[in-house]
This record gives sequence, C-alpha cells and structure tokens, in this order.
Amino acid sequence: MNFDFWGLGLQALNAVILIWLLSRVFWRPVSAAIARRQAAAQALLGDAKATQDKADAALAELTAARAGIAAERAKVLAEANDAALAIKADAQSEAHTQAEAIMASARSDMAREADTARAAMTAQAGELAVDIARKLLGALPDEAIQAAFLQKLTDAIGALPPQDRAALVGAKGIDLMCPADPNADTKTEITKAVQQALGDAVDLNFVTDPALIAGYELHCDHFVLHNSWRSDLAAVLKELRHAD
Amino acid sequence: MNSPLESATLFQIGPVAITQAIVTTWVIMVVLVVGAYLLTRKLSLHPSKRQVALELLVDSLDTQIRETTGAQPAPYRGFIGTLFMFILVANWSSLIPGVEPPTAKLETDAALALLVFFSVIWFGVRGSGVGGYLRSFAAPNPVMIPLNMLESVTRVFSMFVRLFGNVMSGVFVIGIVASLAGLLVPIPLMALDLLTGLVQAYIFAVLAMVFIAAAVEEGAHAPAAPDPETLSKKKDS
Repeated sequence: MNFDFWGLGLQALNAVILIWLLSRVFWRPVSAAIARRQAAAQALLGDAKATQDKADAALAELTAARAGIAAERAKVLAEANDAALAIKADAQSEAHTQAEAIMASARSDMAREADTARAAMTAQAGELAVDIARKLLGALPDEAIQAAFLQKLTDAIGALPPQDRAALVGAKGIDLMCPADPNADTKTEITKAVQQALGDAVDLNFVTDPALIAGYELHCDHFVLHNSWRSDLAAVLKELRHAD
Repeated sequence: MNSPLESATLFQIGPVAITQAIVTTWVIMVVLVVGAYLLTRKLSLHPSKRQVALELLVDSLDTQIRETTGAQPAPYRGFIGTLFMFILVANWSSLIPGVEPPTAKLETDAALALLVFFSVIWFGVRGSGVGGYLRSFAAPNPVMIPLNMLESVTRVFSMFVRLFGNVMSGVFVIGIVASLAGLLVPIPLMALDLLTGLVQAYIFAVLAMVFIAAAVEEGAHAPAAPDPETLSKKKDS
C-alpha cells in the first residue's frame, strides 16, 4: 500500500473546482429561482391581501350602508305609522263629531217629531174628548141640563162686577146663544131669569148655535159670558195642552 | 483481482500520476457540471416538473442544513450540497461496469476529509474571528485544548476512513462475488451498495455540516479572555 499525495492534492483541487462550478451553475441559480418564486408568491399574497382588505373594506362599507338603509327604512316606517295613526285619529275624531252632530240632529228631529206627534195626539185626544162628551151629553135629558146651565148663567151674571153688569144692561142687542132653538115658554123663562139676574129689563136676541152642545152664552159687542159645554171643553183642552 | 488499496496509474503528467480514480472524478465533474448547466438553463416563475424537482432537492438540503445548524443555509449550501452530490454520484458510479468509484480510493476520501477540515477552520474563523475560533478549543475549559485539537483531526480522519472502508468493502465484496458466482449473483449486493452509497454520502455531508456548525457555534459562545483590570482587582482583594 502506498499513499499518493499528488493524487490527494489533485483530488482536493478537483473537489474545490467542482464546488466552485456547481455553486455557480447549480446551487445559486436554483436558490435564486426559489427566491424569485417566493418573492413572486409573496407579492401575489400581498396583492391578494390588499384585495382582500379592499373587499373587506367594501363589505364593511356595504354593511354600514345596509344598516343605514335599514335604519332609514325603520324611520320611514315609524313616520308612516305615526302619520297613519294621526290620520286615523283625525278621521275618528271627525267621524265622532259628525256622528255626534247626526245624533244631535236626529235627537232634535225626534224630539220635534215627538212634540208634533204629541201635540197632534193631544189635539186629537181633545177633539175625541169633545166628541165623547158631546155624545155622552147628547144622551142626557136636555131640560135638566139646560135648567142647570140657566141657573149657572144667572149665578155668573150675579157674580159680575157692577160696572160689567151695568155695561151689559146698557148694551144694545144682547145675543143669547142656545144649542137648539127654544120654544116660546123656554124663551120667556130664560128672559125672565136673565132680567132678574141683571136687575133690569134687557132685550135678548136668541141665536141658535149647535156648537155649544149645551148651555147658554151671552154675547154683546164688548162682552162675552161663556156658559156652555163648548167653552168648558175648550178650557179643559187648553188646560191639557198647557199641562204638556 | 487487484488489491483495492492499489491505484492503477493510467498516465503521468510530470510528477503527478493520473489514476483511474482521478479520471473518473473528472468524468463525474463534467457530468455534474454539464448536467447542472443543462438542468438550470430555463428556470422560470412558472416551473416545469424538472424545475420543481431541482427546487425540491435544494429546498430539502436547505431544510437539512437549517435543522442541523439553526443558521441560514446559503453560506454552506454550495459546499455541503456539492460534497453530498459528488460522493453520491461517485459511490453509484460503481454500478457502471468497469468503473471503480473514486471514493473507494484513499486519496479521494482523504482529499474530501481534508476539505472538510479546512472548511471547518474557514467557517469557524469567518463566523467568530480568529480569536473566537481559537478560543473554541478552550471550551469548556483550557484543559481540554489538547483533546479538542486532537479531536478536530481524528474526527475528520474517522470520516474519511468510514467512507473509504464502506465504499471500498462494497466494491471488494462485489468483485469477489462476481469473480466466484457469475453475472447475476452480485445484483442484490449491488442494490445494497446503492443504499450504502446513499447513506455514506448523507453521513459524510451531515457530519461535515455538524463539524462546521459546532465550530461556528462554539466560537460564538466561547469564554472571553479575562479583563486585565478585573484580574488586578482580584489580586488586590
């Protein structure tokens, strides 16, 4: 065995040359390519990050805008709701006012119609009462009734103040209203009773008026002495109307 | 069969005997350089499969250097990577009939080990200066200086002996089996020799990396020389 130091040196030189050559033609180019690709990848990542940041910002802006739109929508809805409530309240108030007015008018009309109906019914009732009274009195004996009315007439004449009695005596032509034409005896009896009540002789003009129903009345130019069923029923009817 | 410890001289250039190992080394160098040149001609940002494979090789080497040393791989990539590729191609060149791998010769392995020895010094000095590198021999204490100096030689010597022994023995065994059993019998041994060649190249490169990293790191953390003022204060007290 022998060791070749020249060979050792030459192989060492060969290795150094190989290291130098491969560093230049292999390791540096490949590592540079890796570095370039990493830089390109980093640039792409940076661009992607910037794009993503921009997209995130746009998304945030869009989200904020959408939130603003939602808030504005809610505000518009609230305003519309308030306006609708106000319109509803106004409409209700107006309808209530109109209904009150209509009801008041209806009440007024009803009251007026009720008054009219009541007045008509009262008038009809009065007329009916007069008719009833007339029919009832028609069934009574005329002599007794007329005698009672003659007594009542003399009493009324007696109850007159003296100046009225004097004016009655001084009147020219006194009409004595009768419900039926009396006979001569009756006329005489009536004239005698009236003259006694007046205390002086008067000229009586007998006038027939069936509307009296029953009784005797004295009529002159300035004086009327009512004494009949008609006047009594008229007084009753007046009292009934005033009672309402 | 020739002795594996003997080198056949092909021709002579002055005092230098050109052996078959040297010629094989030149051929391997040409193949590696030309192949590397052809492979790295069209590197682009949109890599082809070829470029991806090259980048995977370089990236794996960088990862290995980074995990071994914890430093940036750029200063060591060319040296360590070239050592690995040369030893690997040299080991596998034994598969070509009639070719004897250069790493099966003492001179080649010794030259590689010598390069590792000087590269340790070079990177150590470059990393922490001459003083820092020399102080690394005093770690953990000055008593260890002789042992550390001896270790710096023996560990490199063990590297080259390990590589030489493994590759030479593989070639020797295959030669013996081929001469005794015939053409196809050595094939399993040749396959095993492929694995051995890969492992030895990896071990050599990793050990070189570890030695360089240790020199750089120990130089950076070596104890500093005591301050004269501090020494005088200690004496006074």
